[in-house]
Amino acid sequence: MLELNEVAVRYPGSAQDALSDITLTFDKGEFVCILGKSGSGKSTMIRCINGLQEPTYGEVRWDGQPLSKMSEEQLRKVRRQMGMIFQHFNLIPRLTVMQNVLTGTFGYRSNFKNLIGWFSDQEKKQAKQVIEDVDLSSMADRRVERLSGGQKQRVGIARALLQQPQIMLGDEPVSSLDPGTSNHIFSLLEQMHRQRHLLTIINVHDVGLAKRYATRIVALKAGEIIFDGKPEEFTDREYFNTYESNEVNEKTRSR
Amino acid sequence: MWFKRKNLVTLLILCLLLYFSMRLTEFDLSKFRDFRNMIDFLAQWFPMDTSKFPGMVHDSLETVGMAFLGSFIGLFFGLPISFIAAWNTSPTKPVYHLSRFALSFMRSIPEIVFGLILLTALGLGPFPAVLAIAFHNIGVLGKLISELVEASDPGPQEAMKAVGSKNWFAHLFSILPQIWPNVLSHYFYRLEVAIRTSLVLGFIGGGGIGQRLFNDFKTFQYSSVSLDVLIIMVIVVIVDVLGSYVRNRVI
Repeated sequence: MLELNEVAVRYPGSAQDALSDITLTFDKGEFVCILGKSGSGKSTMIRCINGLQEPTYGEVRWDGQPLSKMSEEQLRKVRRQMGMIFQHFNLIPRLTVMQNVLTGTFGYRSNFKNLIGWFSDQEKKQAKQVIEDVDLSSMADRRVERLSGGQKQRVGIARALLQQPQIMLGDEPVSSLDPGTSNHIFSLLEQMHRQRHLLTIINVHDVGLAKRYATRIVALKAGEIIFDGKPEEFTDREYFNTYESNEVNEKTRSR
Repeated sequence: MWFKRKNLVTLLILCLLLYFSMRLTEFDLSKFRDFRNMIDFLAQWFPMDTSKFPGMVHDSLETVGMAFLGSFIGLFFGLPISFIAAWNTSPTKPVYHLSRFALSFMRSIPEIVFGLILLTALGLGPFPAVLAIAFHNIGVLGKLISELVEASDPGPQEAMKAVGSKNWFAHLFSILPQIWPNVLSHYFYRLEVAIRTSLVLGFIGGGGIGQRLFNDFKTFQYSSVSLDVLIIMVIVVIVDVLGSYVRNRVI
């Protein structure tokens, strides 16, 4: 369903690949957690999947179609099937919970309708439903600045769900939340994952959360995959390799 | 020690600049020996002559209208231009540079120069003054707002791209709510400036309370001048109060 084929990214002005030679295949129903130190390429990889970042080398394929060959219009159609949540929530300030959630429909509508903010009863009903799914019904008309971090992330999830996505991407969605709230967000993500039969791919720093919720763990180091397997296979040795050992693979340097 | 040798050099340069500026501007406090003349002159301003009050009110409204219309047209055109003149939302590099250049060109010409040209071309009255204020304000507001656009949080823009919006729409929709209070804040400041500018444009024939002030002054009707000045002060205060009220309501 989703393939990364020898994907490499090098940011302009950098001497090293942020991501190098990543080949992965993801299938529907997988709950994947990406682990790795800050700067290991987790974020870059997630952003390659929905085309926010273009690979310098290699290809991302969605249902067999390479993203790089797509027109802007086709890319938009792919993106709207991929919900994404962010570390800093990235909600639109000064708008209410309801209004923010409704922006999840933008990929399906004309710019004119989006600009004047006209939504059909069907769209409003669906928005109400997802707000209920993330348990924010009582706050639907509140401005998002007034919510707590956990509530903001739930708005982010609701917005992504309204896209009727097939994939849910998360770029460190719980890194600015406390442990209890993080756990709550993850259990919500898992619940939505099951209900809607999604492919979920999430960057996370908390190994405990990853082992509890993931069906598959991928660990990155200096832009390369150093582990790809089941959560129970991610042992203390893998933990050490991912987070504490400083040896850098020569292959990464030489390219 | 709080000071370094470098600071002393700076101080020396500052003193030199002050000295030369005073020489060039014939800055001379001893001229206040004739202070009595000034008091005699100001004494002629009172009591105020209120007979022309209705006319003055009409002219003041004309001035406020000029300033509002001019600065609003400035905002109306400056806002969209600011998005193509900000590096993070500009469609292409050439468009970015071109719009930047156009904005700085409009800014670099003072309103009074536009006023002189347009008043000659279109005849005396407030209309050319409105155009002069509008033109200059497109440059100023375009520049100021483009800086707000550049400083805006890129996160929501990414989120809007991720839901599948077109790029230009993602920029517009996520940036505008972020910068809106500051846009209004800049706008009201420019409105205040525009009121002062429209007074000066009145001096060169642009109409409004400025022209009346100028005429009263040139015809030695100082008892009317005092009322003109009072009215101008009241207008500026009202605009200021109104501006901060609207800003507070928006934030």
